[in-house]
Amino acid sequence: MPKVSPGAGATSGRRGRGRRVASSLAEINVVPLVDVMLVLLIIFMVAAPMMQHGLDVNLPVSRRAPELSESRLYVTVPESFARERVVRLNDDRVRLDALGERVRQALLNQTEKQVFLAGDGAVTLQQLLEVMDRLKDAGVERVGIVARTPGPTGR
Amino acid sequence: MPIPSYRLAPVVAAMAAFVALATTSPLGQQPPPTPQQPSELELTISGEPGTPPKFAVPDFVALSGDAETQAAARAIGAVLWDDLQFEREFYMIPRDTYGSIPSAKSFQEVPFDRWLELGADGVIIGFVQRTGTGVTVQVRVFNVRTRTSVFAKEYSGAASNPRLYAHTVADEVHQQQRGLRGVARTKLTFSSDRDGERAAGGVPNRNVKEIYVADYDGANQRRVTVTKALNIFPVWSSDGRALAYTSYRRNNSPDIYISSIYQGTPPETPLKGRGQNWLSSWSPDGTRIAFTSNRDGNAELYVMNRDGSNVRRLTNHPSIDTTPTWSPGGNEIAFTSDRSGRPQIYLIPADGGVAPRRISNESWADRATWAPAPYNEIAYSALIGSTNNIRIYDVASGERRQITFGEGSNESPVFSPNGRHIAFMSTRRGRSHIFTIGRDGKNLRQITTSGNNYTPDWSR
Repeated sequence: MPKVSPGAGATSGRRGRGRRVASSLAEINVVPLVDVMLVLLIIFMVAAPMMQHGLDVNLPVSRRAPELSESRLYVTVPESFARERVVRLNDDRVRLDALGERVRQALLNQTEKQVFLAGDGAVTLQQLLEVMDRLKDAGVERVGIVARTPGPTGR
Repeated sequence: MPIPSYRLAPVVAAMAAFVALATTSPLGQQPPPTPQQPSELELTISGEPGTPPKFAVPDFVALSGDAETQAAARAIGAVLWDDLQFEREFYMIPRDTYGSIPSAKSFQEVPFDRWLELGADGVIIGFVQRTGTGVTVQVRVFNVRTRTSVFAKEYSGAASNPRLYAHTVADEVHQQQRGLRGVARTKLTFSSDRDGERAAGGVPNRNVKEIYVADYDGANQRRVTVTKALNIFPVWSSDGRALAYTSYRRNNSPDIYISSIYQGTPPETPLKGRGQNWLSSWSPDGTRIAFTSNRDGNAELYVMNRDGSNVRRLTNHPSIDTTPTWSPGGNEIAFTSDRSGRPQIYLIPADGGVAPRRISNESWADRATWAPAPYNEIAYSALIGSTNNIRIYDVASGERRQITFGEGSNESPVFSPNGRHIAFMSTRRGRSHIFTIGRDGKNLRQITTSGNNYTPDWSR
């Protein structure tokens, strides 16, 4: 780091006046500014390659491009199932008759043929198996039964 | 020493440039928003992005109580579903899932919420009503989400062939919704020994084959020749009203016959029995016929006008040249020749004059047919391993692909008029039967079930 002597240049022009005046610095001291900026520059230069997320490609366009979705499919059997024979497929109300076809459509582009089955505690095993029959007909390979872990009271 | 101020400028400029570069991220390059277009009347039904639209076709509703109308209504719905399934442009919701959905009482009372529950994007509703001499069929295609009609047609005619209404609706729906020329109203022709066998008391008689026509899906199979002789290699004329075929009916010598199948006139013999002539192929415009003949001593290719005039010789080689097929433009002919030792496929201009160009390199290749536009492809059967299989040759790129893989012997491919399907003969289910298959090798359908059936051709 070069030593900057502010008085040297300023005083030389006033030699012979007999008075030494402590004048203020007329220029901004840019040296520390440049130092800091160069360090920042190096930091950004090192960091910039790491900010790339992937290769930039133009994806081909296809009318029939399958949308490979990994979304989970939930079938909920409510307590009213015994009366209404209606379940919920994700958020849609679906009659039991239409469930098999809807699940088949939903699984068309899925590689994992699995469905999560959530039933009300009051639903009988018979009713749950009726729903599972429809799911098996629709080609579901794995049915997961959704349960919750017991709370502190054991319920 | 103070740093002179002029040294500051380049540093600041460099940093400014760097900061500008660093902030130019892909997010900064957003395209300008597209101006809002005035919304058009949307008449095509689309599914979720990336999936074909899902269609349901329930039974049509008979508005008259008689049995014939009710049978017609049921048949139209079933055949229409099948026709739409054939092109695989839509996801067709299986008909056995419609059970609990009430049928529409009128076009104003369609249970849209039930169809939506089944996942349908479109539903086709139809009514069949008996009128004086025949039936009137009203059809509408509804967009289930918007509950609007996107297609409405009314047909009237005889009640004897309800399948024809379904085929017509299928072709028009394909045209309107997908801009696709359907094949539901096209026909197949082939030769079969099923009746010769019956006449001989169950013993196959290889010398009796008759020409048959059938709908593209195998329905309405009908015999068009009654000769108790060998009738083979039928081909359709370009207008679909006549068949040309090779028959041994006179003196057991092959000649080319042309039957106008809807007119009942006796078949024409344009070549009048001069030499032995066989394996006719109609030019795409219907004015000329290419065929094989030994009239000059050796089997060579010839081209004549439809009425038998202007017979011109196309090939001249001591080997056998046979099975011609025209390019869609009518300016080239592909044929089979064994001039290189084994039968291979060659191309020659339809006017001749140039040495043929070989396009196949198989241990045995035969029966080429050219696909219609826009597919510039030639299908032929090739001996691969121990059986014949269908290969497709891309004329532009020279690439070959295979669509059958050793299940029986697969021969004699022909393209459907829209080029998306192939009919061929195969022994994969025992006897020789006619099958159709998609040009990607999927969607196999069996067309014939009795006798042995050979050499199909698909009407244009």
